Amino acid sequence: MKFLNKIIFFYYREYKLNLSGFQDILTNIIFFFVSILIFIFSIGPDKEVISLIGVGMIWTLLLLSSTLSLRKFYQDDYENGNLLIIHLNGFSFGFIAILKTFSHFLFVQVPFLLSIPIACILLNIANDKLFYLFASFSIGSLILSCLGSISSSMNLMNQRNFLLGSVIVMIFSVPVIIFSVGIINMEESFNSLINILFGILLIVFAINPWASGLCLKLSLENN
Amino acid sequence: MKFLVNPSKFNEMADYLFRPLLILSIILFAIGLLFSFYFSPDDYQQGSTVRIMYVHVPSAWLALLTYAIMTIYSILALAFRIPFGFIFNTAVAPIGAVFTLICIVSGSLWGKPMWGTWWVWDARLTSVAILFIIYLIIIFMNLSFENRIVREKVVAIFILVGSVNLPIVKFSVDWWNTLHQPATISKLSTPSIDPSMMTPLIIMTFAFIMIGVAIAILRIKTEIISRKSHLS
Amino acid sequence: MIIVKDLSVERLDKKIFENINLSLASGCISILKGKNGSGKTTLLKTILNIIEPSAGSIYWKGKLIKKNLYDFYNNITYIADKTTSLNRLTVKDNINIWKKIFLSNISVSQIEKALKTLKLQDYLNQKVSTLSLGETKKLEFLRLIIENKKLWILDEPLSSLDEDSMELMKQTFEDHCSKEGSVIFSSHHNPGIYVTEEINL
Repeated sequence: MKFLNKIIFFYYREYKLNLSGFQDILTNIIFFFVSILIFIFSIGPDKEVISLIGVGMIWTLLLLSSTLSLRKFYQDDYENGNLLIIHLNGFSFGFIAILKTFSHFLFVQVPFLLSIPIACILLNIANDKLFYLFASFSIGSLILSCLGSISSSMNLMNQRNFLLGSVIVMIFSVPVIIFSVGIINMEESFNSLINILFGILLIVFAINPWASGLCLKLSLENN
Repeated sequence: MKFLVNPSKFNEMADYLFRPLLILSIILFAIGLLFSFYFSPDDYQQGSTVRIMYVHVPSAWLALLTYAIMTIYSILALAFRIPFGFIFNTAVAPIGAVFTLICIVSGSLWGKPMWGTWWVWDARLTSVAILFIIYLIIIFMNLSFENRIVREKVVAIFILVGSVNLPIVKFSVDWWNTLHQPATISKLSTPSIDPSMMTPLIIMTFAFIMIGVAIAILRIKTEIISRKSHLS
Repeated sequence: MIIVKDLSVERLDKKIFENINLSLASGCISILKGKNGSGKTTLLKTILNIIEPSAGSIYWKGKLIKKNLYDFYNNITYIADKTTSLNRLTVKDNINIWKKIFLSNISVSQIEKALKTLKLQDYLNQKVSTLSLGETKKLEFLRLIIENKKLWILDEPLSSLDEDSMELMKQTFEDHCSKEGSVIFSSHHNPGIYVTEEINL
C-alpha cells in the first residue's frame, strides 16, 4: 500500500512538473503541425498525392517531434539531484525507468495521439484509416517511449553530442515504422501486424528497465 | 586462451603474431586477387562483374563477425567484469565500420550493372545500412563521452541492444523475398557455388580475416597503452 | 547505528581514499573534514550505496546495507549539494510534493513553524527560481523535517549560509540528536557544532 501510494505521488509530481512546463509539450505539437505545413508546401497541395503519402508522413513527423523532447527525459531530474532522491525514496533504478517511461507516454505521446485526428483532417486521410493510425500509434508511441528512455539514459553523461540520442531512437524505431505504416496500407493483415508490434513492444519493454537502469546507475555513480 | 581476456598476455601474444599475420595476409591477398582476376571463370549470366563477389562477400561476413565478437566481449565485460572487453570494443568498432562500408560500396557497384540501380530498399540492404549506422554511433559514442568508465559501459550496453540487428541481417534474405540473393554457402547443405569460384572466395576470406586481425592487434595495443598512460 | 569498516574507493585506478573507519551511534553527530577534492561527497555516496567501494563494508543496524538496501533507505534523508527543489514551481508546491512523495504525516502547523524559523514564510507563493542561493538551501533543509527520518546525511550543508542560519542548523542538529537521531555531514571547516566523531580525509 505504501509502495502504491509512492507510485501515485510520483505521478502527481510528474503531473505538477509537466503542468508548469506545458508550453514545452505544446511546442512539440506546434513543431508537428508546422512540419506538416512545410511538407505540404514542399510536395505541392495535390490532394491525391497527399492522401497517398499522408499516413507515412504523419508517422515520420510524429517520430521526429517526439524525439525532440528526449533531452528532457532524465536530464532535468538528473542535474538537480531528484533522480537520486527518488531512488533513495525506495525505487530501484529499473523501476524508475519504467515509471518515467509511462510518464513520458502520458505527458508527451498522448498529446500527439490527440492531435492525430486534426492532422488527418488537414491531410485528407479517410476516416476508416484513422482507427488503424490510432491503434498503431498507441502501441508504437509506447515503444518510442521505451527507446527514448534507453537512449536518453545512455546520453546523460554525454555533454558534447546529444543529437546521438535522437539518432539512436530513430535507428531502432525503423521496424516500428515499417509495421505501423504496414498496418494502414494492408488493412486485411491488421491482426498479424498488430501482434508483431505488440511483440516488439514486449521486447523493448523487457530491455528498457535493464538498460536504462544500468545507465542511470552509472551516470549517478560517476557524477 | 588467456590472451583473449588478459591485456598483458595479449600484448605478448600480439608481438609474436603480428608480423606473421601481416605477411600471411599480404601473400593471401596476392594469391587471392590473382585467382579472382585470372584463374576464375566468368559467370554465364553476370559476366566479369561476378568478381566483385570476392571482395563483397568476405567483407560482409567480417562485418557481421566483428559485431558478433563485440557482442560476446560486451557480455564478458559487463557480466564477468573483464575490462579487456571494453578495450576490444573501443579498438575494433572502426574496423567493423570499414568492413561494412566496403561491403556496401562494393555491393552498390555490383548492383548497378546487375539490378540497374545503385541502391534498393530491400531488407538485406537496409539492415546492413543500419548495421553501418550502429557502428558509426558506437564510434561517435566513444568520442563524445568525457568519463571513461561511463563511456565504455554505456557503449557495451548499446552494443548489446544493437545486436538485435544481427539476426535480421543474417536471415533477412530468408524471411523476406528480396532482390538480394539468398546465401549460397551454408554449413548445413552442400554449397551451390562452383568450386572454381569457391577457391578464390575462401582465399580472399582468409586474407580479409588475417588483415582484420592484424589491424585489430595494432589498435588494441595502442588502446592498452593509452589506457595505461591515462590518455583516454 | 551505522558502521563503516576499512572502506576504500578507487576511480580509474586512482585511490580516492583508503581504510576509512566510522561508527555512529544514535544521538551522535560526525563530521567529514577534508580539502576540496578529497572525496567527501564520494564517501557519502558510498555510504548511500550509489558508488561501489573497492574494499570494505558498511553495516546498518548490524546488517550489510547492500542486502537491506531499502530498509536502510527508509531511515535516511540525504541532502546533496544541489538544490532538489523544482525551479519552475512555487515554494508551496514544492513542499506539497515533498509531503506527498515521502508520505509524510507532518501537520500544517509544524511546517508553518519551520518556515517561520527559516524565515521563508513570505516566499510561500513565489517560484523557487526567484529565491536567492541561501534561501533555496534553507528550503532544502525543510526536507529534513518533512521526511522525519532517523539518519541525516548532508553534503556541505553549511556552505552559503549566513550566521543566523548557521546557528539554526546547530540547534536543529542538537534537537535531532536529543531525539535519538544521528547526523553525518561534510564540511571543510567546523563552525563550532558539537561533534562526537571527526573524520579527516
